[in-house]
Amino acid sequence: MTFPTMLMTMASGMLRTILLFILTLLGSIPFGMLVVACKKSKFKPLAWLTEIYIAIMRGTPLMLQLLVWYFGPAYLFGWKVGKFSIFGLEYRFIALLIGFVLNYAAYFAEIYRSGIDSMPVGQYEAAEILGYSKPQTFFGIILPQVVKRVLPAVTNEVITLVKDTSLASILTYEEVFSLAKQISASQTSFLPFVVAGVFYFIANYVVAWIMKALEKSMQYYK
Amino acid sequence: MKKILAIGLSVLMTAFLFAGCTKQAGSTTSEAQNTSGEKFVFKHGFDLDYPPYSYRNDDGEMGGFDVELCQAVCEYNGWDYQPVPFNWDAKDAELSAGNCDCIWSGFTRNGREDDYTWSISYSDNTQMIMVPDDSDIKTLADLEGKVVGVQTATSAYDLLNDEEGQLELKNTFKDLKVYDTYTIAFNDLQVGGIDAIAIDVTSGNFLMNSNKGYHFLDDVLGSEQYAIGFRKGEEELCEQVNQALLALVENGTYDQIGQKYPDIYEYLCLKPEGQE
Repeated sequence: MTFPTMLMTMASGMLRTILLFILTLLGSIPFGMLVVACKKSKFKPLAWLTEIYIAIMRGTPLMLQLLVWYFGPAYLFGWKVGKFSIFGLEYRFIALLIGFVLNYAAYFAEIYRSGIDSMPVGQYEAAEILGYSKPQTFFGIILPQVVKRVLPAVTNEVITLVKDTSLASILTYEEVFSLAKQISASQTSFLPFVVAGVFYFIANYVVAWIMKALEKSMQYYK
Repeated sequence: MKKILAIGLSVLMTAFLFAGCTKQAGSTTSEAQNTSGEKFVFKHGFDLDYPPYSYRNDDGEMGGFDVELCQAVCEYNGWDYQPVPFNWDAKDAELSAGNCDCIWSGFTRNGREDDYTWSISYSDNTQMIMVPDDSDIKTLADLEGKVVGVQTATSAYDLLNDEEGQLELKNTFKDLKVYDTYTIAFNDLQVGGIDAIAIDVTSGNFLMNSNKGYHFLDDVLGSEQYAIGFRKGEEELCEQVNQALLALVENGTYDQIGQKYPDIYEYLCLKPEGQE
């Protein structure tokens, strides 16, 4: 295998890595907000359920969760999940998305919660005296500050996600790292791992740069 | 400026990686030859995910035909045995870094003749196609338009990607799914995610013994020999292992160990002299 061929093969894997990365973010960032809303709900059973969900998502390995989402229905109910497809998407890929989105939503929810809890009570009191309603207070006053505060923590999580996509190889999703393993094995060479490392590094450099720009755009007091 | 720094750093790191590899490989070569003083520790590199050659056995210990045979070789040569279970994908890095002295784990010699110094072959193997009993796949030609599973970095995988092997057959598949282990591939076959598995007959037998309802197609994909791979140029160590292996065949130890593994017994290819 020539170096350009290897580079092209791995670049195609990188595209699949990025696809999984973007779809996971699109799902887990909004879903995390829903989770934190449930956790802060006055309806206690819902809050408890959410707590259990977060405990399981954070307490077990993501790789195991992926296996459970894919093989679970087959072993529990005897469904031939391998034959399922929705909108032309194999169940294999759907299980992958469910696994990643639910796992990352749990982490994001906790990050959002840390942001919300860090807001001083005085702001709520001041808003109440000024005659703001509760939704007005939250969406108009609290939330914009929360977004600004949690951004660095979210950046950390997003960068971790870029690298965690390699776990998808357990369900035969051919992202860049599993391709690196395959090529390395067939060519008895370490080079594919170095190439994969460079790919990840570039991707994360871009992510960090975007997040930095986002943070900068929110420094409206400076 | 930052970008230049980043590129420079990554190049530097890469250079260190390779520098480290070559240096260490050189130093361990001389160690291996210096067997005179202290007792030589033979580091057996293998994959714990490759039953029945090397795996975690029912007692939760490292075992398998290759592990037991290697222990017997060490005992015969008066070496200390040290198991080095590794990730199969990292086998070459482990070997060249000197973390292990050999790759001995159902390791296929065919197609890799020039990459290692090889011992004599101690086991034959064939690659087959495994399907559920109720499958409509009867011959290799029926695999057209089907989804087939295989474990990454195995001989079945190489065979399906080799122009001189079965690449043409692979091109008739709808898709070839590549798994980290055959266990997951087999789970996927059970839930209908794939239609067939391309697998070594020995690993396949092992899976089918504990799961009813599967069989091999009559058509054979390919055949190969297992041997022990040493770092290129380590002829002396290789020769010592070869001599020990032949002696163990003569005194019956090889056969005794083989009998414990009925899945592969018929494929063990070393026979005492005069008994073909």
